[in-house]
Amino acid sequence: MKILLMGHPNVGKSVFFNRLTGANVTESNYPGTTVDYTKGWMKIEGEDVELTDVPGTFSLDPKDRAEEVAVAMLHESKDVKVISVIDASKIERGLYLALEIIEEGYPLVIALNMRDVAEDKNILIDAENLERILGIPVVSTVAISGEGIKELVSRLKDAKPVKVDDIIANAAKTTITADAAGAGGAT
Amino acid sequence: MKLGVEERWDLIDRISKETVTFGVYRHTLKDAIGELTIKPMTGIPVAIAILYGFWSVFGSFAGFFTDGFFVRLFDAYWLPWLQAVFPGEGGWLYAIMVDAGGIESGEFVLSSNCLESFGVLTSGLFVAIGVVLPAILIFYLMLAILEDIGYMPRLAVLIDTMLHKIGLHGYAIVPTILSLGCNVPGVTATRILETKKQRFIMMTLLAIFIPCGAQIGIMQDVVPDLMGWILLYLIIGYFIFGYILNKVIPGRAPEFLIDVPPYRRPMLSNIGKKVLGRVKGFFMVALPFVMLGCAIVGVFYQLGVIRFLGDLLAPIFVGWFGVPAETAGPLVAAFLRKDLAVAQLSVIEMTKYQMITAVVLVSIYFPCVATFVMMLKEGLKELIGALAVLAVTVFLYGGLIHLIGKLLGVA
Repeated sequence: MKILLMGHPNVGKSVFFNRLTGANVTESNYPGTTVDYTKGWMKIEGEDVELTDVPGTFSLDPKDRAEEVAVAMLHESKDVKVISVIDASKIERGLYLALEIIEEGYPLVIALNMRDVAEDKNILIDAENLERILGIPVVSTVAISGEGIKELVSRLKDAKPVKVDDIIANAAKTTITADAAGAGGAT
Repeated sequence: MKLGVEERWDLIDRISKETVTFGVYRHTLKDAIGELTIKPMTGIPVAIAILYGFWSVFGSFAGFFTDGFFVRLFDAYWLPWLQAVFPGEGGWLYAIMVDAGGIESGEFVLSSNCLESFGVLTSGLFVAIGVVLPAILIFYLMLAILEDIGYMPRLAVLIDTMLHKIGLHGYAIVPTILSLGCNVPGVTATRILETKKQRFIMMTLLAIFIPCGAQIGIMQDVVPDLMGWILLYLIIGYFIFGYILNKVIPGRAPEFLIDVPPYRRPMLSNIGKKVLGRVKGFFMVALPFVMLGCAIVGVFYQLGVIRFLGDLLAPIFVGWFGVPAETAGPLVAAFLRKDLAVAQLSVIEMTKYQMITAVVLVSIYFPCVATFVMMLKEGLKELIGALAVLAVTVFLYGGLIHLIGKLLGVA
């Protein structure tokens, strides 16, 4: 099994990579720091698993060479799980890429990274509810300080392919119950 | 099942309504600083101040360690010691490894400093450790701080309009600045540009006009008073030839959209790791090349190859570029090591303007071997194209600099 770290540019994939593998990939605060992939090894429940730091991409429809590398990485790998790293303060567009990957049938976990930045901007995310709708593990993280990394690793085993139909159904269901309860859904 | 783009956004809308609460937006101090550094009115002065600060810290740090420490260590202890203990003074091995010396009034004399000796263990080690190490250490340290704070994207936005004139966009500042440390990661970083045209222009300009940390370090050490002129000529060349390339090369140069990330407090551990990693990477590549380059240049000198090429090319150097015939040797040797070539130039008698011309020529005329290999990896066609542009550029720009000197009455 292999694990790919995927997400938009500058969401912290390389930080995760370094944290998870103990490697030293260059991390910077600007999009496009990683333009080629890097592979490393991490341990999950005593087993060595290959982890790849994939260059940032906005969608699976590549716009530059770095994105081409990213999309090719996903399509060429067999038996992979994807850690979808999402900037919690820009969750919608992060979900766009995550959904694209889900639709192609890959098992996924979501790391809602930069929870601290999102909180600075007064954006609160109900990770539990998101997990229920998507049907895959969702973990809040602050990768540079290490928050949530352990939980992320422990939830990797729960990553499984999900059907988009189920997600649509779940989203509709919660809307109804939320409307019935007369609340916004956020807790 | 796959969704269409619209359907996907619809679904995301529904999901985010369920899971995300947006509070009131507060305008924080961070936001205010962020805006001040990106609006042209305030941002450009700030950018100039930051770059000037960068340059002065670089100059004084590198100067402090090179002149204050390494020059003394190497010239007063290392060189005399090696000259004394290395066997076979005057022989070819001695000349290559330690000191080629010189002939003064018919007698063989040893060199008095590590810039003149040209030995692998003297000039080679001195350039690599005494000059290049402090230069790239401070360069990468400051670069890491700017990167981690999140300043680079703001610089990119500020310089966007200017870079559009040469077929690039603001984000080209990232490969450009990375190249000031080492051209190798600079070439890799061109991948963030969207079109083939942009990547080609960027790669060519990097290879020609952006001196790497090693070169800047040695220039700063041997010709500090001429640095301003040399850099000015390089920057002007970058824009002139970028402008021409943009007109000549077919292809698109799209606009760029960038997420300007929030400012962040840099993490000390990340900066440390990054600087060490880059310095280490540089030395794995540079140190063997410096030593090997030094050895090959030494062998070529001994065999008379460089004198032969120098004599052959001297008419061009003297007539077209207006530099003394003696510079032919270092200029030929610069194919192997640019930093060594600058060091060699510095001990040749010539006017200031000739020195400026010669150093600019060394900077522009051939990428180092490591960069060359990196460009080859990005594409053979691009590499050949870049080399063709390079040959024309060196010839034209070298001549132009000579002409400007003539018009100013200094050449």
